[in-house]
Amino acid sequence: MDELRRAVLDAVDKYYSEKYSGRKFDPLVDRVHYAGRVFDQEELVNLVDSSLDFYLTANRYAEEFEFLFADYLGTDDALLVNSGSSANLVALTALTSDKLGEKRLKPGDEVITTAAGFPTTLAPILQNNLVPVFVDVNLGDYTANPDQLLNAIGPKTRAIMMAHTLGVPFDLNTVMRLVKEHDLWLVEDNCDALGSRYNGQLTGTFGHLASHSFYPAHHITMGEGGCVVTRDETLGRIARSIRDWGRDCYCAGGENNTCGKRFSQQFGTLPYGYDHKYVYSHIGYNLKVTDMQAAIGVAQLKKLPSFIEKRKQNFSALTKILAPYEEHLILPKATPNSDPAWFAFPITVRDTAGFTRNEITEFLEANRIETRNLFSGNLLRHPAFMNIERRVVGDLKNTDLITNNTFFIGVYPGIEEAHLEWINEVFQRFMTGEGR
Amino acid sequence: MPLTRKIPCTVQTIIKHSDDVFTLVLEPEKSLPRFRPGQFLHLAIDDYDPSGFWPESRVFSIASSSNHSTSLIISYSVKGTFTARMANELFEGARVWVKLPYGEFIIQSGEDVVLLAGGTGITAFTAFIESLDADHPDETRLFYGARNESLLLYEGMISSVAGSTPAFSTHYYLEELTAPRNDGGQIYFPGRLSIDGIIRHLSHPEGYSYYLSGPPEMLNVFSHQLVDCGIEKCRVRIDAWE
Repeated sequence: MDELRRAVLDAVDKYYSEKYSGRKFDPLVDRVHYAGRVFDQEELVNLVDSSLDFYLTANRYAEEFEFLFADYLGTDDALLVNSGSSANLVALTALTSDKLGEKRLKPGDEVITTAAGFPTTLAPILQNNLVPVFVDVNLGDYTANPDQLLNAIGPKTRAIMMAHTLGVPFDLNTVMRLVKEHDLWLVEDNCDALGSRYNGQLTGTFGHLASHSFYPAHHITMGEGGCVVTRDETLGRIARSIRDWGRDCYCAGGENNTCGKRFSQQFGTLPYGYDHKYVYSHIGYNLKVTDMQAAIGVAQLKKLPSFIEKRKQNFSALTKILAPYEEHLILPKATPNSDPAWFAFPITVRDTAGFTRNEITEFLEANRIETRNLFSGNLLRHPAFMNIERRVVGDLKNTDLITNNTFFIGVYPGIEEAHLEWINEVFQRFMTGEGR
Repeated sequence: MPLTRKIPCTVQTIIKHSDDVFTLVLEPEKSLPRFRPGQFLHLAIDDYDPSGFWPESRVFSIASSSNHSTSLIISYSVKGTFTARMANELFEGARVWVKLPYGEFIIQSGEDVVLLAGGTGITAFTAFIESLDADHPDETRLFYGARNESLLLYEGMISSVAGSTPAFSTHYYLEELTAPRNDGGQIYFPGRLSIDGIIRHLSHPEGYSYYLSGPPEMLNVFSHQLVDCGIEKCRVRIDAWE
């Protein structure tokens, strides 16, 4: 049986070589994607290996990934979920648990965040009946303005939940000072910033909880997938409960009585000894991954250091290519004390540029260079969020500017020298008047 | 409960303390997850196939500390069919599977504690004791009973820590001893551990939290007796499994 399995996996290895390897970029045909899967035979082999186990739900690869991921970040706990958005939902919902006593977030408590980002950083705040407090962001790094953060604290403020936008760490000196002085919870949305550092420390390790995404656009991928990390054992257990239907039991799927107390505990008003597997301490979800997803993640995680390095190289190369156009474009910059593992290369078209964001993105797209807006722009201008209960600090002027003028192109590891040369050529053509 | 991991291990060393009490030193084939003193592992003798379910296993306190990243130590006495299989089937070089860590039998800091260990129940405390240093601030009293001195497992380590940790003291009880024995300052008391005997050594029994580890009958009897002696129920913690 082992030999047969080895033969299948060897065939998968060969299939990878014939199907995927050795492709060359042709600028006249191929697109320069803003992001994408970068993989080799190891991801395919792991995926098939896991499928041959046919355990399907989280198993040995999930266990391996969580261990290796926590080890990479230096945290005590990591729990896989089915997306970065789910990671945000689990992380913030964990802070509403009764198990936290008076420290728990309660309906009406305020959570400081930004409006210029991805909706599922904000959505969990609303889904938990908490009130978002919006601060504006800086142009260039697109993270929360530190002065506005200081002004955002109110008597009901209990937490901060923000993203390290496009890989740029927000001002963690200011944020951690606020967290300490005002006894706030901090949830880092680290979905776009795996591998970024602030004062030398990895982002995702500052907050009480942090979220990560493994969607194909992200630093590593499982297709769909995400992860919550924490150093706090209580929060880890709560988060796991919320991920797993809200149950109190922490046995992995298919396991029984790992705690040795399955039939000998008292919960609520249940009869003594009610089966712990079916005792619920939270109103939870089912947000678990499959082992096939985790199998891909295990292979991807090995490549993470080289992926991060390549993203930084591509960012530097694009900075050189676009530096001549700074009169028209606001180029990205890192926040002080930070070393971003860039998710993308954001660009804001200056009001004085003489062309619009849409004019340049249409030209780039027409020349097969993919662009994306900075996600939602100002979330408060979207139908779903227009009428939410909120508090706004200042006028979100930069957030609105981003909505109209900002876009990004890719730095992902699949971008090679040939792609960069093409990007250089297309930008040169646009800046010298072509397409306008 | 932080991250758990299933790990194949090689049985590196088997120490036979008596016909029915053994210590196993296991060499893990993968990195160990972090665990805390007092936590336990599941040990399976049969091979684990990840495409199926975890085989029959039993739980054992992890006697070694998380600092020993290259080995795991457990001790057991033969009590049933599974531990009898362990005694009969395991040999140095054999392969077993463990999954760990589990459990919340964690000794809290900031309180004076009495540790009550019966037989191999001492393994729930050994990693904690090993972690104590000269500056340990909480008074820690160990009452440890065994059949005879050869079954006072880990006595060397425990006595060494007691010698260098002013806040930590030991009281050994030996069932087969007929009269108290003073061995270089270390007194061995005759007979079984008993709550009456323990309470007599404590000037203010209600000022301690009590951690109990040992055979189920001992846990059951001792925990009730402590409460009967006026110890708050919430200050009596037991290392019990079904």
